[in-house]
Amino acid sequence: MLRYENVTLSCDRTIILENVSVDFPANAITTVIGPNGSGKTTLLQALNGSTTVNSGKIYLDDQDYLSMAPRKRAQILSFLPQVRSTLPTIPVKTLVEHGRFPHLGFSRKMGTEDRKIIENAMKLADVTEYAYQSVDTLSGGVRQRVFLAMQLAQDCDYLVADEPTTYLDLPSQKKIMSIYKELRDAGKTIILVLHDLTQALQISDNIVLVNEQKIIASGKPEALIKSGIIEEVFNLKIKQFEDEEGKYIVVKA
Amino acid sequence: MRTLSNQNNNRISQNVLALLALSVALFIIFITCLCLGSVHISIPDVADSLFHPNAAGKAAVIIRSIRLPRVLSGLLAGIALSTSGVVLQGVMNNALAGPSTIGVNSGAGFSVMLAYLLLPKVTWAGPVFAFFGALITTFIIFLLAYFGDKSRMTIILAGITVSSFLSAGINLIKTIDNDITINLNSFMMGSLAGVSFSSITLPAVGIIVAFIFAVIMARALNIINLGDDIARSLGVNVNLLRFILLTISSILAGCVVSYAGLLGFVGLIVPHISRKLFGNDARLLIPGSALLGASLVLLCDLIGRVVFSPYELPAGILMSFIGGPFFLYLLLRKKGGRRVNA
Repeated sequence: MLRYENVTLSCDRTIILENVSVDFPANAITTVIGPNGSGKTTLLQALNGSTTVNSGKIYLDDQDYLSMAPRKRAQILSFLPQVRSTLPTIPVKTLVEHGRFPHLGFSRKMGTEDRKIIENAMKLADVTEYAYQSVDTLSGGVRQRVFLAMQLAQDCDYLVADEPTTYLDLPSQKKIMSIYKELRDAGKTIILVLHDLTQALQISDNIVLVNEQKIIASGKPEALIKSGIIEEVFNLKIKQFEDEEGKYIVVKA
Repeated sequence: MRTLSNQNNNRISQNVLALLALSVALFIIFITCLCLGSVHISIPDVADSLFHPNAAGKAAVIIRSIRLPRVLSGLLAGIALSTSGVVLQGVMNNALAGPSTIGVNSGAGFSVMLAYLLLPKVTWAGPVFAFFGALITTFIIFLLAYFGDKSRMTIILAGITVSSFLSAGINLIKTIDNDITINLNSFMMGSLAGVSFSSITLPAVGIIVAFIFAVIMARALNIINLGDDIARSLGVNVNLLRFILLTISSILAGCVVSYAGLLGFVGLIVPHISRKLFGNDARLLIPGSALLGASLVLLCDLIGRVVFSPYELPAGILMSFIGGPFFLYLLLRKKGGRRVNA
């Protein structure tokens, strides 16, 4: 389990989140939702040091996460930031190989084990066929899967991703989400930031709701929907339907 | 999977082949540089004076005390400046960065002049001052880029400003102290004329050590190019790594400046040419640039002293004749330069 205890976070010396406490349960998908600018990304960026932790503690499986060496952290928790518009002009396989970096020794030489993990990561993310294409030539959906493959190559128990599906078309989103679900089923702990409410409520085991730089609720999607707090924060209506094929969540703005 | 691994092997062998071809080219240029000059010496005579320590005669003297130090210093200069350029472009994520464009060369040059002024009799002062001059200038530019306006053009403009400021400083020192035993013209242009084994010993050690570190850090350089946030996620201490890489590139550039002056454009154009050949993976880019850079410097030096014989043109002048137009081409092809991603 990943636990924030009374954590205060700041960006460029401006305090963004003050005194927040929240749990991210193990072997589950937890999604952080909230309006733009509410502090979702800041909350997770504390994990790779991109935002400053002013006070409080973060525990990863009861270990003090913030006092771990960066390399040690990167062996347990992988953080995939939002993929930006400027892209590396290197082959896909080279990028995926970078995921092994925290596991390599000083000489940075890869062994057979590393190569196998890279191959499997590319297979799971379904990007093997693009291995020798340059990352900047790929479509948005494939590109995100390539970065996901890099994250998989990092081979951590905790996988954190900031908006892994934003700007992707529906089939691409579905593909990414099914990979994260598969990983959860394999015992990994997944923490995501998502913009699409419907998607967040459907795939998550647990929801963390952030609004106006505070964590105002966390719990199972069902419970949060029932409490009406999501509708209030986003100023919209949520309805659930069920038929023989499964559950539907519909959001009306 | 079979086709995939074949493709993989093809690529690897292609790159190995390219590196091999460059090595052969460098070797041929190296030998040619030893043979040609105001006095032409045949290959057997060159070999004789290199491998037989007792060989006497005019040829052996010319080879051992004049041409060999000069050719070795050119070889090291090319390796060092190109590698410095690759590292700088990577760390600053700026295709227009190079030891000459961001003012590192003139920082080192100014310090060398300072060394001549303050400690004229101390042989190690030049290289040591050059290193610190390069380092300080690098960090000034880097901090400007890091905390100020991050645009690529600003960095280059800052580099040009710092460069001209320091060049004025170089001229000032020369004006104050006319006794400085340095040919200002060839120092400002960059020249290998008059180097001796004793003047390149310390820089050579610095260059070789820094180059080995650059090769070892190639993968880390690749990681830092993915952007700070991804690098951090991969467990990299981004600021420490930047500091180490910038120090390496300063040692490389500073050492060259201490004996060859402001040998301009090698550090800018060579990384670009080798990007075309090898792509953006620093693990190939560094050895590729080193080979290419060494060849280019030796070739420019050779042309400078053979074609215009009995006059001698500093290697830096020829380099600028090639580098200048190439830099303009880079500027025109894509505004502000292409993003570099190793």
